[in-house]
Amino acid sequence: MKTSYLFPYRFKKASGFLFWITLLLLCSYVMFDSYGNFEIKTKVFAVVADTGLLGGSEWFNWVENSIVDEILFILLIASGLVYAFSKEKTEDEMVSKIRLDSLVWATYFNYIIILLCYMFLYGFAFLNVMMVALFSHLLFFIIRFRWMMYKQNKLSYDEE
Amino acid sequence: MKNNIKIQRAIANLTQAELSEKVGVSRQTINAMELGKYVPSTVLALKIAKVFGKTVNEIFELEETD
Repeated sequence: MKTSYLFPYRFKKASGFLFWITLLLLCSYVMFDSYGNFEIKTKVFAVVADTGLLGGSEWFNWVENSIVDEILFILLIASGLVYAFSKEKTEDEMVSKIRLDSLVWATYFNYIIILLCYMFLYGFAFLNVMMVALFSHLLFFIIRFRWMMYKQNKLSYDEE
Repeated sequence: MKNNIKIQRAIANLTQAELSEKVGVSRQTINAMELGKYVPSTVLALKIAKVFGKTVNEIFELEETD
């Protein structure tokens, strides 16, 4: 199978490692650092930024911001994309099928979860959901795909 | 779709791994096909038939439900 949109297999392990580590770091950062003990303040370019609590905003300006979460997010999304879409050791048509199935499943599952959260969560809880929703699709896909591949491998060792 | 890959493999004295190498897929794919859990593409079916020196029709067969 010639699939040009997948990353080489050699990226798989490293990106997977980075993805899970970053996910762990991001979760602990969001959960335990609500007082801003760990911050890297710097000037960043903002297309839109709030000026105050009362809804004012400024456009195309330099603002002061802690970039820890930005760095973690970039790492998470980049490593997650590479991990999710790098080739398997033996990339063949069945792997493509499993990948496609998992992608469809993850899309449905993700939006069902988001809709449920939308309907039943309000206030700050919902803000957290919005943040998770930025990478949940990728996460659900990775979990589902890895699980199906694992099941496939296990099945095959029972035989013969 | 039914197939008799397992029988053909026994006749040709090939393991799943050897067959998978010859047609360029993983062993898991051969296994899934033998268990009827995966329907191969036309290209793969033709490749498998070629390995056994048979036609595709001799190895793969339509079922009532197809």
